Amino acid sequence: MILSFISMNGHGFYVWLSFGVVFISCVVVFLKTKKTLKKYEQEFLVELQALTLEEKNKALENSKVAQQILATSLKIN
Amino acid sequence: MFKYFSSTNIYLLIQKLIRFINSIFFLILIIGLTFALVLSPPDYLQGDAVRIMYVHVPSAWIGLACFSVITLLSVFNFIFKIKNFYFINKSLSPIGLLFTCLAIITGSLWGQPTWGTWWAWDARLTSMLSLMFFYVFYILTFKLLNKKDQIIKVSSIIAIIGSINLPIIKYSVDWWTTLHQPASIKITGSSSIHSEMMLPLMVMALVFLLYAALIFLMKYKTEIIRIKKKNIKRD
Repeated sequence: MILSFISMNGHGFYVWLSFGVVFISCVVVFLKTKKTLKKYEQEFLVELQALTLEEKNKALENSKVAQQILATSLKIN
Repeated sequence: MFKYFSSTNIYLLIQKLIRFINSIFFLILIIGLTFALVLSPPDYLQGDAVRIMYVHVPSAWIGLACFSVITLLSVFNFIFKIKNFYFINKSLSPIGLLFTCLAIITGSLWGQPTWGTWWAWDARLTSMLSLMFFYVFYILTFKLLNKKDQIIKVSSIIAIIGSINLPIIKYSVDWWTTLHQPASIKITGSSSIHSEMMLPLMVMALVFLLYAALIFLMKYKTEIIRIKKKNIKRD
């Protein structure tokens, strides 16, 4: 039964290859996108840390995005 | 009303949407795959090769939909200079390219067992290949040009010229005699596809749509962080 499911009456190669190509491509694009997002979040945090305390407080006070990125990084760490 | 479209509000909305998609994605993916690979019946003519349809058709739909949205937003951006549209298009184009390539590859893998050939210079296949090249040129404008105004101008022109190809793709199977079959699913009128195949197709289309939305949101979020990083001292 498992063999007939895998072979799909002789069409298994085409079917599994199609699903495989789609799956692998989607995983690769997802991981690449996630990596880029993390990289920019890290760079943003580095820039934020480089500010003086006053500038940092002002940036965090005025930017919800900065607060969110900082909160996410604290959660991860 | 415009305050709801500020990058901060969009960023917070993106966070919520990403969390929502992550929470339901795998469940829908498992349901879709079970239907597509196990529960749906084989075709009376094509046998199990018809299962390729469940990845091929949604890929083609998303490839076409992304370019339609890009064209529409390019026209608006060209006229009204709305910076969010620029970032939306920049985030959407790689997703469109990915799914157009997947539609071509899976179509080729479907063509071999059913038509006996990997490729034919058929109207539908050739117009899809043209769409892929339009995506490549579109993405290259973001990579090769430096000035934002120049990018908007050139990319909009590419999108508008490329949009001429969209009705050609859609109606190529009606206008010319092609190897590719005519549309089985019609928005207006009755579809010729059986409900036992229609349901898995719709579930898989939802899976692809959710995945595309997730990637788009992650890319758009990256763009917002990039802008915020530039303006960090001004904030």
